[in-house]
Amino acid sequence: MTVRLWVTGLGLVTPLGHGVEATWERLVRGDRAIGPVTLFEAANQRTTLAAEVAGVVVPGPGWSRSSAMAAEAAGEAMRAAGVDVRRARVGLVVGGTTGGMFETERLLAHLHEEPDCRESLVEMLSHPLTATGDRVEEVLGPFVRVRTLASACSSGANALVVAATWLRAGEVDVVVAGASDGLCRLTHTGFNALAALDPEGCRPFDRRRRGTTLGEGAGFAVLERAESARARGATPVAELAGWAVGCEAHHITHPAPDGSIVAALVERAIARAGLTPRDVDYVSAHGTGTVHNDAMEAQALRRALGAEVHRIPVSSSKGQIGHTLGAAGSIEAVVTALVVSRRTLVPTAGLDEPDPAFGLVHVPHVGRPASRVRVAISNAFGFGGMDTVLVLTDATGDTGARATSAPVASRAVVVTGAAILAPCGLLGDEACARLVDAPAPALAPGPVDPDPYLDPGRARRLDRASRLGVVAAQHALAGAALEDDEAAIVLGSAFGSVDASAAFVHRIFARGPRSASPAEFPNLVPSAQVGHASIYLGLHGPAFATADLATAGESAFVQAVQLVRGGESSSALAGAVELRSDIVERVLAALFSGASRPGLQRVDLAAVVVVEGEQAARSRGARILARVRQTLEWRGKEGPPADLVAPPGDACEVVVARGSTGVDELLEGTPWARCPRLACAPALGESDGLGAAALAVAASRIGHGRTRQVLVLGLAPGRGYAIVLSPP
Amino acid sequence: MDPAELRSAIKRLIVAELHLPGRDPESIEDDAPLFGGALGLDSLDALQLAMTLEEQFDVRVPEGDEARAIFRSVRGIAEFVAKVRGG
Repeated sequence: MTVRLWVTGLGLVTPLGHGVEATWERLVRGDRAIGPVTLFEAANQRTTLAAEVAGVVVPGPGWSRSSAMAAEAAGEAMRAAGVDVRRARVGLVVGGTTGGMFETERLLAHLHEEPDCRESLVEMLSHPLTATGDRVEEVLGPFVRVRTLASACSSGANALVVAATWLRAGEVDVVVAGASDGLCRLTHTGFNALAALDPEGCRPFDRRRRGTTLGEGAGFAVLERAESARARGATPVAELAGWAVGCEAHHITHPAPDGSIVAALVERAIARAGLTPRDVDYVSAHGTGTVHNDAMEAQALRRALGAEVHRIPVSSSKGQIGHTLGAAGSIEAVVTALVVSRRTLVPTAGLDEPDPAFGLVHVPHVGRPASRVRVAISNAFGFGGMDTVLVLTDATGDTGARATSAPVASRAVVVTGAAILAPCGLLGDEACARLVDAPAPALAPGPVDPDPYLDPGRARRLDRASRLGVVAAQHALAGAALEDDEAAIVLGSAFGSVDASAAFVHRIFARGPRSASPAEFPNLVPSAQVGHASIYLGLHGPAFATADLATAGESAFVQAVQLVRGGESSSALAGAVELRSDIVERVLAALFSGASRPGLQRVDLAAVVVVEGEQAARSRGARILARVRQTLEWRGKEGPPADLVAPPGDACEVVVARGSTGVDELLEGTPWARCPRLACAPALGESDGLGAAALAVAASRIGHGRTRQVLVLGLAPGRGYAIVLSPP
Repeated sequence: MDPAELRSAIKRLIVAELHLPGRDPESIEDDAPLFGGALGLDSLDALQLAMTLEEQFDVRVPEGDEARAIFRSVRGIAEFVAKVRGG
């Protein structure tokens, strides 16, 4: 069976307009949507320019501009594709970095100032990154699964990559994938502090460029396997023919200047599509307009495309719609799909004097029809050097012998390392195996100190959450004796660095925008911890953060397993990092945890496991703790799907983050109801990252012979995960 | 604040604000290049240091070539701060 992936529907909300047609017409014309910020007071900033979306209708409480734009764009894409969620298994992947920050940043500043404040809870409903997917699901669902991910400014491109892995694995029939980010004071002030904004507006690839301009918007695409799309009578807009994802492991805000990693990704993405640089007709550049990005990207394109670079037109839409941050990768992928389907190139606005050092072929000012645009590349790069390259092709022709269309050999996946860093210490797999055996130890929730385990010089830019994550990750890697600099890393967090974000915006409101810390801002991006970890550990594989309320750890694990299973990487680190947080404890947990969690004190926690393809693990002689027998994820109030495997007789266990009534109800009537139930919270303390600890405990207990098979059940309101681990 | 005292204050600020663990502030030489040199500092540190100087000494740090001249060394920063505050 070959798997080709069709894009069958597109949706856009951009500063140029609502909808694909409104945006497209103005994009080709070269209109620029850059003007003074009106959403908030932006005086006393280095630049007050941005590209805002006019006329965003925010329906009510729990909604944000981000989620409203997401629902609009996803809805347009689904209507265009004719997707019926009742007749197919439809998944949703949502990327983004700001969520409801614009709507909640004043309240956050207030919460920081008055720690005892307990009012206005309902306003925080729109805050988490997961709120975007949840609102989209309310109006367009139900979806069989939903993933919320962030990889800074490549989030949207990675949403399409996740969709591709789901489709190739045959786990869903259709995926609605994209990203949405609204402007907010935090990002506008942060990018100003980094001196990354051009006071005269973004001019990609121009000799005089001085930075980017922030934009906002949403872009979504519907993807499906060509075979099933054809069977239901759908027509393709384009084909997602290739992709490559990787990390520079260089610097949290600066691209690696030689562009070698990006060049390698461009080469891999083209090769994966069964093509060569000779076949490429167009490049939608990341093209932020910063001095460093554009120089690096031009160098990378020259390296990867060779002499063909003198023929292939390159453009960036950021001079027109600004840099839409987390949404940029999906908006530009949608635009690139339109370029190949309409055989029309979109321009680079603001490009009056092309930088002569670049040697690129530009499309300045206005778009133009092209005789041949069958193969196009879309680049998206993010803070932390998280880079993604997509290849979109004309789906009507036969443009290459896809590596992506090769039969998908689903790999068996095993767990080879596990570690937990918590107030009780730094635990390797042996200690993890014993953790829940003993009666609950008297918890002394003292501080967790990661610093003894870190090189102080290399760790100096790491925030506390990153330090915890890195220590747990390197301990898990050491336990696994794994040295794989192409390993992927996926870390979950329920609410990200909410306290640090509150402190940052409080400072802006109290002391003015020039007091914003440029060094601190990058740490507030939801994928900062993953980015820091990839840099510190030297990992060049795919990297992103997931969010899914108190099941963020489970979502990260399942995501990592999907990457390895589908052959996107040979090994992956997966886990969660959560800091004890006043705002989570007093405001967000009450809103989002559902069941009450009495008694236990919240703690700092990081838990990471190492997963690998079984064959790769065996061939390097790895000690295997457990095999991943099944991963299930679902939405809604129902329990695990009926195909949850049964335990093979006795000596099996159910490991959960915390004992809760929901677990009993869900397991009632299943063979797992008879198995002993082990909860991690009494031994570790309360944390939204306990799901990752449960996985570390479960794999370690099997690996050290304490049980035969384990069901890890992760539950949060409206979502659940069931992961069955068995002996190797 | 006399010039030597000001330079010491700036050195302490550099070590604390740029998270240079285990570095003795006085080991930073007055005329040693701050960026791209032995301290391992880069342009993100320069931005952070500029913000910190504005906060601590109530000055406005310019950008571009002017900033590069000021940030060449601890002495450059101290002379800038003294000039702005004295003038």
